[in-house]
Amino acid sequence: MDLRLKALTKSIWVFHVSAGSCNNCDIEILDCLTPRFDLERFGIQLVGSVRHADALLVTGAMNRKAVPRLKKIYEQAPKPCLVVACGICAISQNMFRDSYSMLGPLDSILPVDVYIPGCPPKPEAMISGIVKLVNKIKNKK
Amino acid sequence: MRVLFDYLIFPGFLFTVCLGLMAAWVERKVTARIQWRVGPPWYQNFVDIIKLLGKETVLPRSASLTFLLSPYLGLLSTLLVAVILGKNLIFSSAGFQADLIVLLYLLVIPAIATIIGASSSGNPLASVGASREIKLVLSYELPFILAVIAVIIRSKGSIQLGEILSNQADFGSNIFSWSGFLAFMVAIFCMQAKLGMNPFDIAEAEQEIMAGTMIEYSGLPLAVFKLTKACLLYTMPLLLIALFMGRAISPVFLLLKFIAILVVIILIKNTNPRLRIDQAMKFFWGPVTLLAVISLILALKGL
Amino acid sequence: MDTKAKIKESLGSRVISWSECSPRRVYLTVKKEDIFELSRFLFKELGLRFVTASGIDTPRAFEIIYHFSDDAAGVVYSARVLLEDKLHPQVDSLTPIFSGAEWVEREIWEMLGINFKNHPNLKRLLLAEDWPQGKYPLRQDYEP
Repeated sequence: MDLRLKALTKSIWVFHVSAGSCNNCDIEILDCLTPRFDLERFGIQLVGSVRHADALLVTGAMNRKAVPRLKKIYEQAPKPCLVVACGICAISQNMFRDSYSMLGPLDSILPVDVYIPGCPPKPEAMISGIVKLVNKIKNKK
Repeated sequence: MRVLFDYLIFPGFLFTVCLGLMAAWVERKVTARIQWRVGPPWYQNFVDIIKLLGKETVLPRSASLTFLLSPYLGLLSTLLVAVILGKNLIFSSAGFQADLIVLLYLLVIPAIATIIGASSSGNPLASVGASREIKLVLSYELPFILAVIAVIIRSKGSIQLGEILSNQADFGSNIFSWSGFLAFMVAIFCMQAKLGMNPFDIAEAEQEIMAGTMIEYSGLPLAVFKLTKACLLYTMPLLLIALFMGRAISPVFLLLKFIAILVVIILIKNTNPRLRIDQAMKFFWGPVTLLAVISLILALKGL
Repeated sequence: MDTKAKIKESLGSRVISWSECSPRRVYLTVKKEDIFELSRFLFKELGLRFVTASGIDTPRAFEIIYHFSDDAAGVVYSARVLLEDKLHPQVDSLTPIFSGAEWVEREIWEMLGINFKNHPNLKRLLLAEDWPQGKYPLRQDYEP
């Protein structure tokens, strides 16, 4: 188990899910993979299929139509899978809290491991969030 | 005992896997450097495989039995090719009659394993990827075989790999002749498609069809597929060296030639956009086959 | 004759009010029975482009504003329709004239509850499948 978790911390493959976001956080996620903030040196890759994913990056305030699909996607990812709430809409729904079409923040739907606040979060904030995630896995053992 | 050592340790499973994963790392690092990034550290591919071994394997309900078996098909045939090639490069007489045909046959099997695996997963996106892979295989196999026939003609009609090597040792490498050079260029294009690298990245890893043929794989079968790709990245340039540049094959020169071919592939990969499947088919059935036929005619004339 | 004069000449009697906030922005109010003829005139005869329609619930009535754009001159005409009957609001659908109005009117119907007569396909567009029928979220008296 030790080797398995250690290998997980050094090569995290992320899959990005947007549950009704304005796409700003999505652009910032892609921004992290560009040459300036290069995330590939930590072993992080953006994969195309949920079944290859180790971490789900979820953005957006949870839309009524998107939530059943988000739950299905979480079930399709092979465990151990980590969930990262990216952006303040996923953490606490920001200004859409009382809207008629938003269900609830992300941690009322999925078990969240790391929260990255910001609207949108800077790439430096996302990198520091990932470092916290890696440290959390190492201490989880 | 000796056979087990050859197949499992050197130049078999362990050696091929290590060198293949290191070659894949070289590809990722050079790609990163071309894009002005720092790339992943040297152990990255090994860690990827170990991590994939620790994930659970999700079996879709609509998948059939060949879903779990087809990755191993591809890996086993690639390892066989690596063993035959490795032993031939070390001892020139260790081959058997017509082993080049066996090699060519075995090298089609990884692509077929991908197609079988993608079709049996029951996902419509995977079947799109499988159909593209089928069309690609139909396109690049013909020019490749024509280029190999040109080499066979130059080696006075012998199909044994060992005799091709010794012929080059006596009369000079195949690449330094007109027909050999054209056949080498054809073989580089076909190798780019067989390895699934960038202008011909069509079947898999697309932003269009969400990882295409490998969309339903996870855990151990996915690790085996990635290992197969890495081993192909080591085996195919070695085959090209044996066929075309087989004059000086002491380990130092072998390493230099291997790195030179790797650099050529990586540069082609990074400077080209991905082609559509109909453009790729026209490319292979048009200019590339024409080039291969010209090299065949030149080889018949003795050039 | 420029476009504003053409509109005033052919439909002058039916235009209730006409205000030009700026040289390129014209607001005209028409009765809801005349909106079909007005938009047919603007689209077919004058060749203006239908941009979108916006609906809002004001204390006096439901308002729908249809925006038409004159691309050559750079002027936007907005035709306002007032629906005073808040219990059963109805207006003619513009889909027979140009099919671009179909989805716009579907969204106005599902958010505000305004019925569009002769609409070919009045179904849900944006709301979730399990949203209860008869609840219109953008009305002022909507209770969550």
